[in-house]
Amino acid sequence: MTRWKRLLILLSIIGPGIITANVDNDAGGIATYSIAGAHFGYSLLWSLIPITIALIVVQEMSARMGAVTGKGLAALIRENYGAKITFWLMAALFITNLGNTAAEFAGWAASNELFGINKYISVPIGAIVVWLLVVKGTYRIVEKIFLIICLVYFVYIPAALLAKPDWSVVAIQAIKPSFHFNATYIALFIGVVGTTIAPWMQFYLQSAVVEKGIRKEEYWASRIDVIVGCFMTDIVAFFIIVACGATLFPAGIKIDSAKEAAIALAPFAGKYASILFAIGLANASLFSASILPLATAYYICEGMGWEAGVDKTFNEAPQFMWLYTILIATGSLIILIPNAPLIAIMWISQVINGIMLPFVLIFMLSLINKKELMEDYTNSKTFNRIAWSTTTIMIVLTMMFVVSMFI
Amino acid sequence: MPFLGELFVSEILKKPVLDPKGDELGRVKDIAVVRGEPLPKVSSLIIERKKELFNLPWTELNIFNKRIISANVYGEALQPYELNDKDLLLVRDILDKQIVDVNGAKVVRVNDVKLEGYDTEAVLIAVDVGMRGILRRLGVERGGEDMMRLFKKHLPYNLISWNYIQPFEPKLTTISLTVPRQMLSELHPADIADIISQVSHKEGATFFNDLDVDVAAEALSELKPETQVDIISEMDTDKAADIIEEMPPDEAADILSDLPVDKAKEILESIEKEEAEDIQELLSHEEDTAGGVMTNEFIAYPPETTVRGAIEKFRKYAAEVETVYYIYIVDASEKLLGVISLRELLLAPPDTKISDIMETKLKTVTPETDEVEVAEIISKYNLLAIPVVDTEGFMLGIVTIDDVLDRILPPAAKRKRRKM
Repeated sequence: MTRWKRLLILLSIIGPGIITANVDNDAGGIATYSIAGAHFGYSLLWSLIPITIALIVVQEMSARMGAVTGKGLAALIRENYGAKITFWLMAALFITNLGNTAAEFAGWAASNELFGINKYISVPIGAIVVWLLVVKGTYRIVEKIFLIICLVYFVYIPAALLAKPDWSVVAIQAIKPSFHFNATYIALFIGVVGTTIAPWMQFYLQSAVVEKGIRKEEYWASRIDVIVGCFMTDIVAFFIIVACGATLFPAGIKIDSAKEAAIALAPFAGKYASILFAIGLANASLFSASILPLATAYYICEGMGWEAGVDKTFNEAPQFMWLYTILIATGSLIILIPNAPLIAIMWISQVINGIMLPFVLIFMLSLINKKELMEDYTNSKTFNRIAWSTTTIMIVLTMMFVVSMFI
Repeated sequence: MPFLGELFVSEILKKPVLDPKGDELGRVKDIAVVRGEPLPKVSSLIIERKKELFNLPWTELNIFNKRIISANVYGEALQPYELNDKDLLLVRDILDKQIVDVNGAKVVRVNDVKLEGYDTEAVLIAVDVGMRGILRRLGVERGGEDMMRLFKKHLPYNLISWNYIQPFEPKLTTISLTVPRQMLSELHPADIADIISQVSHKEGATFFNDLDVDVAAEALSELKPETQVDIISEMDTDKAADIIEEMPPDEAADILSDLPVDKAKEILESIEKEEAEDIQELLSHEEDTAGGVMTNEFIAYPPETTVRGAIEKFRKYAAEVETVYYIYIVDASEKLLGVISLRELLLAPPDTKISDIMETKLKTVTPETDEVEVAEIISKYNLLAIPVVDTEGFMLGIVTIDDVLDRILPPAAKRKRRKM
């Protein structure tokens, strides 16, 4: 293959990996990174390198399964493990993603409040924009819009530059593992890991690869897509931590949310850094809010064997349309209820997220090693070793995360 | 004859199988079926005892219903069973898989399988694709019924008779009947395209292999380009060549140009020579120009042909041509002289020469003309097709209105299913 041809294939295939990885930096993720920077400075930076590797390992397997089998993860689980397991898995994913969707709309409301826009205006508008984009746009256009949105994430880079960090310290901290044995540090460490690798991403990425019609011959390009995406995610996370670590941490300012981070940044890094943070949060929240409900409705229908598709009516695809509508409507309305138990909702969804992840990872590993499904594309011995250790570490950490939420 | 009435496979899975003394032989793990008339029938139960599999032939069964399953044999007599690809197992191969409901023209997932007594056999009568099937699998079918009764509604059965089913698994197609095969060919090509777009490319290719060549050709042109390539690449060259040959040359050229060069070459070589030359000629044009969208299949007669002669020729040869509404008049060197519409031809006196009634001031485009411009001309002059000529006026082909419409508004099935 000539170099030009390879480049053309690469460009046509890029998308699913980058988009998935960026949706991952959603409202919850940005909040976690900001808090990590504010509370512990640069001392969590080093964890981003192992996290990136773990993310690549997991995402690569999803993309590979999609390209080789031509089926989504929900379909594969249903066909290999039966209806019962699939049903409970899908039920659990529905609940976590309802919570996640609410969290995205909460992030959207918070970022709009920074610009002085009331949530009773911003949330309905956000919900309608999300709905329009999906129902009225075609996949090609939507994917292009999404890829452009992914670039907006880079606003965190100038924000970090405005914070004027001491780059030599940053560089050392980024590669030097350090660990503090105190409860908040461990909780945040697990939080950073947990927010980066979420169960729904594997379903979404695999479906997107299938939907794009990527075949095993073009899989090499998909792998590059996945790796680039994972790096982008963690580069964004890196700069968020640096921005907060350079300013809020030395001043000893404790924050609880991404919105507080944006406000607190202004006196140290200037008005523009604060505005960039707010734009980043708004972008990430709305972006994730437009993908999460749709992805959830799709893979639930895929697993249960229901008709799905945004161009279908309530009569043709009742389950799909109801799931999609309930996710967006409930997710946005919860935010508008005065005194809604927002924290409790996010807490429950995070816990179920954590409990689900081990199951999803184990299903993936057992599926990807099935010769009859993956032919010559099963994991190699070395890769299996890496994948299993990643999975084990992830399981231990998420278990600790779940337990820590009850303490 | 151990079997009367009906039951669902999920109702007997993991149920104990008893020997004549009432001791447990093992638990039902799977059910093997074989071809039968009129429907596939159960040939044996695969039972599991202490992680080992055994084969219990249907003839050894004594009682078989959802409450009790018992056999005439004792544990020692059981034959060990090894999973293999040849046998057809209900749980492994059908349950939870996708199938085509030929009647409803859509892809569904099998939630449960229904068996029914027929003479002394148990036959595979239907698959359950509805909510009831899912609830039964979850063990809460009753609860579901009660819930629905609260709302004064009935929980509907959603069964599809095995006769109306087309599986994707190649080995399953061997036990499905010939009936659905004919029914498949009666499906609308757009429905077929919709079905294909919902399953993996391997399954899509199997499904395609079962279609008649002409139906397959029509369905293929309804698919979006990436899927076309997937399907053709998974097929063997001969079958692919048969289908491509059946398509209008312009659409065939579109597909071939998207294929890897080697595969396209291979297919072209297996196609009839004349057809292959037409396609090759089209392949040389840029995709978004008149040359790229045109077809070189059109009707053209020499100027001295009489109306009667033209109609006779038309009757004889026009069946194979896609667009027949214009008859072009070309001289011996294929230079375009004029055009008459089919209506004008039919209304004219039989002995007139067609050159006397032809329209000579006709709109033409060159192969390099942009497709949007072609669309504008077709729309402005209300044409059904426009001839493509080179700079010296030699006729190369025609662009039809549906070709340009396809370019501007892709047909429904080609629009990407939006799934994210």
